[in-house]
Amino acid sequence: MLEVRGLQVSYGAVRALEAVSLTAAPGGITAILGANGAGKSSLLRAISGVAPVAGGQILLDGRDITTLPAAARAKLGLAHAMEGRRLFRQLTVEDNLKLAWSFGARATPLPAAIAEIYGRFPILEQKARTMAGLLSGGQQQMVILSCTTIRSPRYLLLDEPSLGLAPIIVQQIYGFITEYAQRSGITVVIAEQMATLALRVSRHGFVLRRGRLVLEGDSRTLLEGGGESGALAASYL
Amino acid sequence: MDDFFFSLVLAGISVGSVYALVALGLNLTFWTTKTLNFGQGSLMMLCAMLTVFLSSQGVAMALAVLGSLLVIAALGMFIERWTVRPALRSGGSTMGWVVSTLGFGIFLQGMAAKYFGSQAVAFPEVIFTAQDYVTLFGQYVSLQYLVVLAVAVVLILLLELFVRKTVWGQAVHAVSLDPELALVQGMPVRRIILGSFMLSSVLAGVAGVLIAQIGGTVDPAFGFDLVLLGFVAAVLGGMGSSLGALAGGLVVGLISKLVGGYVSTAAEHGIAFALLMLMLAVRPQGLFGRPEVSKA
Ligand SMILES: Nc1ncnc2c1ncn2[C@@H]1O[C@H](COP(=O)(O)OP(=O)(O)OP(=O)(O)O)[C@@H](O)[C@H]1O
Ligand SMILES: [Mg+2]
Repeated sequence: MLEVRGLQVSYGAVRALEAVSLTAAPGGITAILGANGAGKSSLLRAISGVAPVAGGQILLDGRDITTLPAAARAKLGLAHAMEGRRLFRQLTVEDNLKLAWSFGARATPLPAAIAEIYGRFPILEQKARTMAGLLSGGQQQMVILSCTTIRSPRYLLLDEPSLGLAPIIVQQIYGFITEYAQRSGITVVIAEQMATLALRVSRHGFVLRRGRLVLEGDSRTLLEGGGESGALAASYL
Repeated sequence: MDDFFFSLVLAGISVGSVYALVALGLNLTFWTTKTLNFGQGSLMMLCAMLTVFLSSQGVAMALAVLGSLLVIAALGMFIERWTVRPALRSGGSTMGWVVSTLGFGIFLQGMAAKYFGSQAVAFPEVIFTAQDYVTLFGQYVSLQYLVVLAVAVVLILLLELFVRKTVWGQAVHAVSLDPELALVQGMPVRRIILGSFMLSSVLAGVAGVLIAQIGGTVDPAFGFDLVLLGFVAAVLGGMGSSLGALAGGLVVGLISKLVGGYVSTAAEHGIAFALLMLMLAVRPQGLFGRPEVSKA
């Protein structure tokens, strides 16, 4: 179980998160919603250990990991697809995958793990020896998702996997995420600005606004207008 | 071929390969932290001085070199931990490491002068003596020069192989490209950085022993222009490129020896910096510098 209690994140004088408490239900997809600058990325980055935490606790399976270095958290089974299509641009697609696997749980042997990915995204096999930075946005997102899943994580954090992609690619990416979450049974947290997109695939949603948790609930309820007359839409204003 | 010309070329290649080693050492820490250890010159000197000291105490030559390299590796760790990391953490003026690494180098130089004296001391012969030679194309070629060249080239190839073919080498590359992403993917970035400083220092140490071998003597001030020439070599070749380090080192070595031989020894080092300025003006990314690979 992934739990956050009274989490505060500050960048110098800028408060990005203010006493946020939430729990990602095990074995399902949780959506973190909010407008630009709401603090979604700060939340995910704090969980994986690369944002300055000023207070509160982060618990993984009941264990307090708040002060654990990022690499150690990754070893505990956290995988994070960071905002802004982060991959090693000057390395080939295959080297990106190999590296991600090498420092992961190694639950599947490398050749099998790579074969599985190429089976799912055949285009990546064709681009195996291309530098990742030269791929199209959608292809890069496929590499990034593959890099997180090839590590056989127990917790998967995805930061705006839809950003800047054509609708058809977004569908493909979300299809993969949903299917992977179901098949693997792991806990997935998706941060999205596109509320409807994330709410359609998630079980539970949390809405942030200017660093505070302003709304939470069953995804279907939130999707139908946020219960009390468009509370979801209001939280974006 | 003209004998004089040939001997200059040979000397140039041989010192050039040592500059290449220094450049390679600078590259290593540049990859992992975008910093350069300007204390490298003092590490070269200290390694050579320690070797002289240990062998004068009756330690076998190979052990003396090995022992000195171990001390230098430990100093590399110290430099990362106490001069570079604090300078990077304090943020703000991000160039603090230039002063702190250089300052630590000067401190080491002072210590060496205090404990070993500031006179030049003779460097013992590690494998061959200055009189050993082979004949190549009808020319006498010093075996010491050949050994220096061979050691430098082998080390450069090994490092290149390590970076290209091993997972840890790839991890070093990954850290150079995006340290935060490397961290999030579970790579032990701290240890990789520490390792890069140790290895960089060891390369400096090896370079120090090799150049002392060619020159025959060491003194506490030795190493100071060497690190600058290594820096010129690294920039010429393209900061961060191993092949560039080798090419840059050879170019600097050759040109400075030729200028030293035909023009004036006083111009020997000056010409390297002229070369540096020319390169920065014409091709700032260096001979083998890679442009960014990015696509929105
Ligand atoms: N490295 C940083 N330094 C200073 N301020 C930052 C930094 N990163 C984020 N912030 C600030 O923290 C706040 C929250 O940012 P965050 O990136 O977490 O929002 P977000 O919900 O992910 O937004 P977006 O949807 O645009 O990605 C913003 O006000 C932002 O300006
Ligand atoms: Mg964000």
